[in-house]
Amino acid sequence: MVASLYLSFTDYNLFSAPNWIGFENYARMFGDPNFRKACLVTAYYVVIGTPIKLASALAVAMLLNSARRGMGFYRSAFYLPSLIGGSVSIAIVWKAMFIDNGVVAQVIETFGGPAAASGGWVGNPNRTMPMLILLTVWQFGAPMVIFLAGLKQVPAELYEAAEVDGAGPVRKFLKITIPMLSPVLFFNLLLETIHAFQIFNSAFIISNGTGGPARSTLFYTLYLYFRGFRDFQMGYASALAWVLVVVVGLVTFVLFRTSNAWVHYSGGNK
Amino acid sequence: MKKTLVGSVAALAAASLVLVGCSSGGGSSDATTSTDAATDDTTATEDDSDGAAGSGDVSGTISFTWWGNDSRAEFYEESLALFEKAYPDVTVQTSWQAFPDYWTARNTEAAGSALPDVMQFDSAYLREYAGANRLLDLTPYIESGAIDLSGFDSGLVGAGNLSGKQVGIPTSTNTLGMFINPGVIAQTGVEFPADGYTWEDLNTFISATYAADVSNSDGYRLYGSGDYTATFWLFLQWLIQQGTEPFTDDGQLNFTQDDAKGFLGLTSELREKDEIFPVARGVALNPLGGFTMNEVSAEMSWDNFMAGYSADSGSDDLELKMIPAGPNGSDNFFRPSMLLSAGENTKNPEAAAALINFLLTDPEVGAIFGTSKGVPADADQRAAIQAEEGSIDAKVLAYEELIGSTTTSTAPIPVKGFGTIEEKWRQLGEELNYGNLSIDDFVSEWWAEAEMAVS
Repeated sequence: MVASLYLSFTDYNLFSAPNWIGFENYARMFGDPNFRKACLVTAYYVVIGTPIKLASALAVAMLLNSARRGMGFYRSAFYLPSLIGGSVSIAIVWKAMFIDNGVVAQVIETFGGPAAASGGWVGNPNRTMPMLILLTVWQFGAPMVIFLAGLKQVPAELYEAAEVDGAGPVRKFLKITIPMLSPVLFFNLLLETIHAFQIFNSAFIISNGTGGPARSTLFYTLYLYFRGFRDFQMGYASALAWVLVVVVGLVTFVLFRTSNAWVHYSGGNK
Repeated sequence: MKKTLVGSVAALAAASLVLVGCSSGGGSSDATTSTDAATDDTTATEDDSDGAAGSGDVSGTISFTWWGNDSRAEFYEESLALFEKAYPDVTVQTSWQAFPDYWTARNTEAAGSALPDVMQFDSAYLREYAGANRLLDLTPYIESGAIDLSGFDSGLVGAGNLSGKQVGIPTSTNTLGMFINPGVIAQTGVEFPADGYTWEDLNTFISATYAADVSNSDGYRLYGSGDYTATFWLFLQWLIQQGTEPFTDDGQLNFTQDDAKGFLGLTSELREKDEIFPVARGVALNPLGGFTMNEVSAEMSWDNFMAGYSADSGSDDLELKMIPAGPNGSDNFFRPSMLLSAGENTKNPEAAAALINFLLTDPEVGAIFGTSKGVPADADQRAAIQAEEGSIDAKVLAYEELIGSTTTSTAPIPVKGFGTIEEKWRQLGEELNYGNLSIDDFVSEWWAEAEMAVS
């Protein structure tokens, strides 16, 4: 880590010994169109993808939080995608599903939707991001299990008391479930946000290692990898890596600060 | 994944810090350390070569690596079995990867001066490696006759010579050609222009194919061609036709922004009218393409792709024609390809030289590979290919013979950072076809990248 900090101030190219060039690598980012694009793409993914994923995880967790027969099976079934979803093979299958005559295009057409545009979702820069967000949302299993554990912890008396007072399901959800669940929600939010910053495999596979089409999947991690290992600009890549570390740190810090306002820890003095 | 990446960066960084750490004093003394290391290596090489350079009694174990696919691996294993029969005291350890992974692996090894004894090399990376002194100068072995280049064209050998050092020798040559799919042309009914046609004629053909408005049985419209201006090598070829050498001898760009705009402008009308193969469909098909899906009549590419294109498209009647002519004809160049190089750190340069010589000049090896790596550079290997009439090998050989009989120029030696600027050209070409930027944006962004990468 420390070494990469040093390298970020050099012109290291993998071959020759690094030369100190001061803040040149960091200054270069301001004029680098691909850096801007990578930031936008990653921000879009984190800001849109993470809340949708958490909302789906919570919704399914609430459905699964009732004592019916076969719940164990459903729980495993819904958890499964999060185990395999990040793999290379799933990314390949995902890509195949979203091309012109892929499964998705056929289903949409069957239900009276418009015919697929040439190239399907894979070939259209404004569709690739929804496609990747769907892939991450589909992997809601891990946060779902944590939500489920959290839901089990909510004392049933609270709901009973609320029902006696005449509260409806929406009111119960907003006034009891959300506050009681807020520590778990915070934990999941933090974890999934950081996780979203790290997307690499699926974007790499779906774009054939280009970050395309038209740079629509040029995630920050992808760009960093290209600069370091394809373009021999390891110094610049190190600087990019450090900016990412700092940004993820800042986001985490901000989340922690705002958490004081909305996360409710029961039992403590807080 | 981020952690892993940061980890690898750190690991590499640590490796380089060891280097830096050796040199005492300030940051500017780094160079001393690497010079020391280089000197050590050179001494070792000289010690080894005190033996008998050029004589037959070489022995030891050497490593050899290449990029490619399964069939190339089979060809190499077959050839190496022959080599080990001829040199019973030499054992060759092999490994291979696909092209992109190959270079990440080599780059890491080069950083630690731990390259294989012999490796397949690409001219796009030659300057970087040679500039950092990572490749063995093969000149003494050529002079001693250990590597016999009598069957080689001297211009071709020169392609592996950088600042007086023979850092690689090409196995074969490629040249750009126009692939034609007669099956698609039969469906559209639009004839491909006869040899000697110009870039304008090609554009007319593309427009006419679009105007024919024919779709295949799956409902996909047939096109004349994709946007050829998105391919960097075709730009270089076009520059040469205009009388401009793309790169200077000292590895700088030798063309202007207006040259680039001129080339990209060739297809701007076709792009506006959507008469070329749609980029979105091309992206979705990648790694296949419109041509290999039998949706495009013609595509320009390297002639050794014939085998791959025939297999992917399932059409065995593909033809190779001349590329469009410039003011003085097609001005094709033979691109030296699949160079063989030895790592500067090799402990057994004699055995490495023997292996390089065997792979380059043994007729049986030539017969094993055919034209799958391009047309062999060595005359004996070329003669050893038994190509049946109408076979893939025969088509490629005939095409290069045809090219050899016309005016040819020398292939440009790729500048440092060639891989970067080539990929940038492709990326911006894609954006151009999606209509996300203008030709002027393309050129200014590419230029900024090139200045950074080439310097």
